Amino acid sequence: MAKKLQENIKIDAELCTGCRRCSEVCPVDAIEGEEGKPQSVNIAKCVMCGQCVQICSAYDSPFEQYATSRSQRLKERNMPMVKEPLFAAYYQGDFFKVKKQLADKKQFSMVQCAPAVRVSLAEEFGMPLGSLVPGKMVAALKRLGFTRVYDTNFAADLTIMEEGSELVKRITEGGSLPMFTSCCPAWVKFVENEYPELIDHLSSCKSPQQMAGSMFKTYGASIDGVDAREVYSVAIMPCTCKKSEASRPEMKSSGYQDVDAVLTTRELAYLIKEAAIDFNDLPEESFDKPLGMYSGAGTIFGVTGGVMEAAIRTAYELITKEPIENVNVTSVRGEQGVRKVTLDTGALKLKTVVVSGLKNVIPILEDVQRGKADFHFMEVMTCPAGCISGGGQPKMLLPVDGRKAYENRKSSTYQHDEEQHYRKSHENPDIQDIYQKFLGEPLGHKSHKLLHTHYKPSR
Amino acid sequence: MSRNLNSFVLADSKKCIGCRVCEVACAVAHLDTEIKTVGNMNFSLNPRLYLVKTPEITMPVQCRHCEDAPCLKSCPVSAIKEQSNRIVIDEAGCIGCKSCIIACPFGAIELIVSRQEAMGDDPEVIASKCDLCGGAPACVKACPREALQYVDMVKEGTQRRIAAANMMSGFHNEFMVREG
Repeated sequence: MAKKLQENIKIDAELCTGCRRCSEVCPVDAIEGEEGKPQSVNIAKCVMCGQCVQICSAYDSPFEQYATSRSQRLKERNMPMVKEPLFAAYYQGDFFKVKKQLADKKQFSMVQCAPAVRVSLAEEFGMPLGSLVPGKMVAALKRLGFTRVYDTNFAADLTIMEEGSELVKRITEGGSLPMFTSCCPAWVKFVENEYPELIDHLSSCKSPQQMAGSMFKTYGASIDGVDAREVYSVAIMPCTCKKSEASRPEMKSSGYQDVDAVLTTRELAYLIKEAAIDFNDLPEESFDKPLGMYSGAGTIFGVTGGVMEAAIRTAYELITKEPIENVNVTSVRGEQGVRKVTLDTGALKLKTVVVSGLKNVIPILEDVQRGKADFHFMEVMTCPAGCISGGGQPKMLLPVDGRKAYENRKSSTYQHDEEQHYRKSHENPDIQDIYQKFLGEPLGHKSHKLLHTHYKPSR
Repeated sequence: MSRNLNSFVLADSKKCIGCRVCEVACAVAHLDTEIKTVGNMNFSLNPRLYLVKTPEITMPVQCRHCEDAPCLKSCPVSAIKEQSNRIVIDEAGCIGCKSCIIACPFGAIELIVSRQEAMGDDPEVIASKCDLCGGAPACVKACPREALQYVDMVKEGTQRRIAAANMMSGFHNEFMVREG
């Protein structure tokens, strides 16, 4: 029996006033309903990016009476007994599922944290927007009882090794071009839903979350001498769609579901608060090795243009066999929805496109369909500023603070990149080590089995 | 005797979409500590304007800062005052008797649990209403549809008279030309 995907974006009909501002930010027109009447989400179209959750301002007013009690509403959302206002657009979380597992002290748990979480988590504890707190985040996760605190950033470096090699292979040996990134599950679902004929253009690489998951239950389990079956694998994500990605039935290369549960940044904050951990007072602690070691290239995956920049840092050297002159590829950074950059690698002029905001990709996909695409590689992130602006990130009370938050989270991300000793994925010593000891080579047999996937048209 | 009329915030039901951004902005503007994210709120949002949504109409209602304010007159402890062209509630003086709520024809006053007291064992209930944010209302600034207007009665009168004069001079000239 096919396992049901976790489809979790909902609108509370009792709180929704039908203002339809959510439909303005929905990239796939999945929000349906008459103006002034409660809206609903068309699950067949929804890519679960959660931008509607972020923009919704229709809250539970203390001056109105509702048929549904607050505790019922919290239960529907899988939220703990918090006192914050509740809004009409929401996602069903996994708070209780993870809390229960953590209470079992015999459980061998491994956790990973997406790059965008370390630049936003502190906001939920009153610290300035965009505060950079990887060390405190690790300390909090250890106090919550996770046995190993690993990092999605390590897997982002691994993604670059595989995806960079895949791109070079498609260019030199032939394969579907242009190639599209596959890190953003909402983007992947969009291609499967709306452009199934372009599926071959998606990189076959799993996203960093799923690569980390499969490494946890294979290499990670063997390091600790535990059976994959005993490992509880959790991902902390800025994203609401990552929950759905983790629940895809094919995501079990280790023999078990590679990621057992995904918590958003907001849900992690609930766990920390409920455990009465004083976040602001925590010391700085380090990720566990080897699956927590990362380069600056791994951490910039959290912003639009980051996957492209990380890929260029490595692909340039793969193609030219020489180090790139300036590791800061600032030309691919920026706010515009579509950015086109050509990289001179001598014999080959590598043409790249970076897209943020899913709506902006449609004209480009139309070009690809008509055979008019004039580029090799395209990065797409669904959310407006990349993962730092994801649906699972701290929700701002006022729209004006949303813009400020994106700006600060972005500059903290680039600051964190510059702080790293290693700036390129292929220079990460634990990446070199995992290929030597376990994976063999990029695109090799083991990589193919554990780090790559396939996609299915939805229709 | 001439005096300046009180200002107030007025909503346009034709522009209002009912999103409640004004309510959220109002509640945030009246917090006693700076809070930016929803996750940092450990109490409900207490706005001082209220979205009205019926099958016929969608718009927020708030205090009109009446010239002959019934709330002010109804207050038995004189906790409602007129100050710099606004009707304001002295929260420290309020005894929570609800007379002002009964007196207000707009339903613009609500009783809320004061935050400081809510933290202790003896919650204090006080009357709460629009105070015009000291002249730059947060609701007006936050509305994504520009459906709210801060009506400054002095400027409003002057502006309307200028517009009327311009319009009438046009009519007049046209009339004169035709006459001639």
